[in-house]
Amino acid sequence: MNYELLLSSIVFLLCLTIFILHLVKKRRISVKYSLVWLFPCFILIIFTLVPGLMNMISNFLGFQTASNMILTALIGFLMIITIALTVIVSNQKDKIRLLIQEVSILKSEKK
Amino acid sequence: MKKIMIIPAYNEEDSILKTYNQIVNYNKKHKTNYDVIVINDGSTDKTEKILIENEINHIKLINNLGIGGAVQTGYKYAYDNNYDIAVQFDGDGQHNIKYVANIIKPIEEGQVNMVIGSRFIENIETFRSSTARRAGIKLISFFIKLVTGKKIYDTTSGMRAVDKKLISEFANSYPVEYPEPVSTTLMLKKGYIISEVSVEMNERECGVSSIRTWKNIYYMINVILSILVVGVGRKK
Repeated sequence: MNYELLLSSIVFLLCLTIFILHLVKKRRISVKYSLVWLFPCFILIIFTLVPGLMNMISNFLGFQTASNMILTALIGFLMIITIALTVIVSNQKDKIRLLIQEVSILKSEKK
Repeated sequence: MKKIMIIPAYNEEDSILKTYNQIVNYNKKHKTNYDVIVINDGSTDKTEKILIENEINHIKLINNLGIGGAVQTGYKYAYDNNYDIAVQFDGDGQHNIKYVANIIKPIEEGQVNMVIGSRFIENIETFRSSTARRAGIKLISFFIKLVTGKKIYDTTSGMRAVDKKLISEFANSYPVEYPEPVSTTLMLKKGYIISEVSVEMNERECGVSSIRTWKNIYYMINVILSILVVGVGRKK
């Protein structure tokens, strides 16, 4: 890997990490959910800093090129996140329904 | 026995008062004691105004929940107020008050837990919806039979009566998506006894049915999947 690419890759990953930490600090995402993003950033930084590592693993897993492995891994990772989000949304929908019902019943009793 | 009619209403300004008056008149005429709870499902028209002006017992949902969430609110109310029998009844003029006595009779006698007001068990000349709709109902019926072993003819009927046990079940948990066929399947799976009694229904006077033509296939897939999920799961 050439140095320009290495450098821009590290800068990008660092920016991403800082942005997520910033969101956590501003309490826009909870710590629990931020880990889902921080952890992959961390792994990608390691891959970037240790050049031979990525090729070694992709060879071991039988990928033609390392980039194929990265793309596959990212798609799998994004799918898992989306499924997790769907679970969270369904859960929240149930809770909101319950809240609307109970509040509405209480309000009508008060009158 | 305390009886209550749960009437979900979403933008029913044209028909809700008529439905309510029918029940009041019927109570006077037949010396029955059907209480009414209207669930105003976040209507955007004059429904709420009509309900207040006529002092109709109602709960106004602070946000629109859809038919399942609205009906469940009614069951919660029935549970909190210790009702013995709850009847689901539409506010749009589709259902006829004169059949309510028939559908609660088996429950009063303690034979069954739930009675469905069914359009398809006897051949009466009445509104029975379109051919496509009937085919859909038959298909749902087939899948319910497949997973529970019990034939239910009018799977999407919104006119139903339940006993105290099911009021408490429904208050606790009610399938909010595709409520009628799914709750029927769930309760059969749990070992409750469900029967059907023949009723006539009118063509809806106003408003649009919640099931639209082009969405029908999507609806069917969802309902069948829901039934299979319920059916394949636990057995109590």
